[in-house]
Amino acid sequence: MVEAALFIPILLLLLVGMIELAKVVVAYFSLQKTMYSIARYASSSQGANFCDDADTVITQVKNVVLTGTPEGEGDSLIAGLTASQIQVRLERYAPDSGTLSECACSIDGCDIGAGGLPPDFIVVSIPDGYNVRPVFPLFQVDPIPLRPRIRIPVGGY
Amino acid sequence: MLTLFVPVFLGMMGFAIDLGRLYMARSELKAAANAMALGAASQLIGTDASTEAATARGRLTVENNSGLGNKYDFGGIAVGQTSGSLSSEVAEPQYFSTLAEAVGENGAQTGGSGAHYVRVNIMGETPIVFWGLLSIAQDRKVAIQATAVAGRSAPLCQICGTEPIVVPALDAGDTTDFGFVVGTRYTFGYNCSGQGTPAILPGGGARVDYIVINRLNTETQNFTAESTQLFRSGAAGLPSTTNRALGCFNVNTAETIWVGAEPLACLQASVPALVQNFMCGLAMRFDSTLAGVCSAIPEVDTISAVYTPDTDVADAADYASYTGNGKRIITVPVVDSITNLSAMTTLGFRQFLVQPAQDATTLNAADQNGRFVVTYIGSVAPVRQGSMNGCSQTAGPGKVVLHR
Repeated sequence: MVEAALFIPILLLLLVGMIELAKVVVAYFSLQKTMYSIARYASSSQGANFCDDADTVITQVKNVVLTGTPEGEGDSLIAGLTASQIQVRLERYAPDSGTLSECACSIDGCDIGAGGLPPDFIVVSIPDGYNVRPVFPLFQVDPIPLRPRIRIPVGGY
Repeated sequence: MLTLFVPVFLGMMGFAIDLGRLYMARSELKAAANAMALGAASQLIGTDASTEAATARGRLTVENNSGLGNKYDFGGIAVGQTSGSLSSEVAEPQYFSTLAEAVGENGAQTGGSGAHYVRVNIMGETPIVFWGLLSIAQDRKVAIQATAVAGRSAPLCQICGTEPIVVPALDAGDTTDFGFVVGTRYTFGYNCSGQGTPAILPGGGARVDYIVINRLNTETQNFTAESTQLFRSGAAGLPSTTNRALGCFNVNTAETIWVGAEPLACLQASVPALVQNFMCGLAMRFDSTLAGVCSAIPEVDTISAVYTPDTDVADAADYASYTGNGKRIITVPVVDSITNLSAMTTLGFRQFLVQPAQDATTLNAADQNGRFVVTYIGSVAPVRQGSMNGCSQTAGPGKVVLHR
């Protein structure tokens, strides 16, 4: 009985630790799926202008993935994650050098609103991270910034 | 009791942690495989060089010079690279001519012009902590594999971002090719009326009349001039827009001629200025230097810098030998007839490779009859945007989709 009395608190701590660890894994999994869904949806949307922060198509894509509605009504499916935290980097392929480089939001870049051509790839990410703070009894744990990311080709997929 | 329970409890905890990590890694590898397959499939345009281009394009998704290539294991390990004792490999993509072969286990692979589907396999070793106690993972890592298959879709009923010209079917009863013959050259010439049909171009085949159809975008804030809009459409297809009525074409839908592009008398030996604007844009696919006749197009100096020529501007004796990046491929609505310019019903879409003028590396934007030479290629190249809803087509171009 004495051993049990000594050991059970340790076991409980381990159990709580595992649950908190699982919450971090689930959060990362959900975020990764969210980045992928936004990337796929946005990359195949007709008329999406990635250079316009207020672009209707991109806004709707983020809203649908985050809340399930184009208008963004209701809470985010991932608590605390907002559309403004999600960044889309544009990339252009150079056939001559065979390299990828960031595509500027300009007429000779990827700003289709100004007359440019669409990017070849997009990278969807959360640059500042989505903070998850595990709660361990007796311990103070710093928030863990999760930064999932996906690169997807742009086209009619 | 406790001594029995504790090891079992700890073992289950360890099992859960490792299993979660493996599932996470598999999810990330699958996303990476999907991205690679989509990128590769977009380059499968039915030429001998297409599979090489597809492999290169697919690998760009894991290119990590910028640190932004796709990764796995909580974004910590670059796909296709070695990190410490953990390695990831991207197998050489496999190419197939049919979907059944691509998704089957033992489908016959093909290469070059016959490839329309790609299968990508990615392997990534994932570190484990607790399973190392088991015999299956003595070296404390497990190899996870992800597979994706992508390729062209069913024939599309709506195609977006293509060129605003139509040609009449040579044989409306031929639902596969509308009377065109794959590999055969044609001289596209702007429709004209009366006697004196212009001659075919040197190196071109039978004449096919075309018409510029109305896609005037009155909603745009930039490049509002009609001539500039047609230049842009000639250079890279219709600009992307959320208004599908302005940016797309639909099967079984009547099209009307672009006002101001009405055919002139053949004996007049000239075409409406709007048609020449379109030709100016088309020439940009060969040469980024503007022809003299194009200089009057509003804002043309600004907009022409956007477009880069195809990577292969030479005359392609046969389509399979074409090594370019597809910019010379035009996807054209084929209509029932162009006798009634206010009701030309689209029967389907077919593709042509634009050829340079004879002994040249560009086409003649100043051609007085709006002529250029094309080679009919069928429906081999995937288009950028489109939809499969709204009609029943047995043949025609598709777009790239994930099949698995």
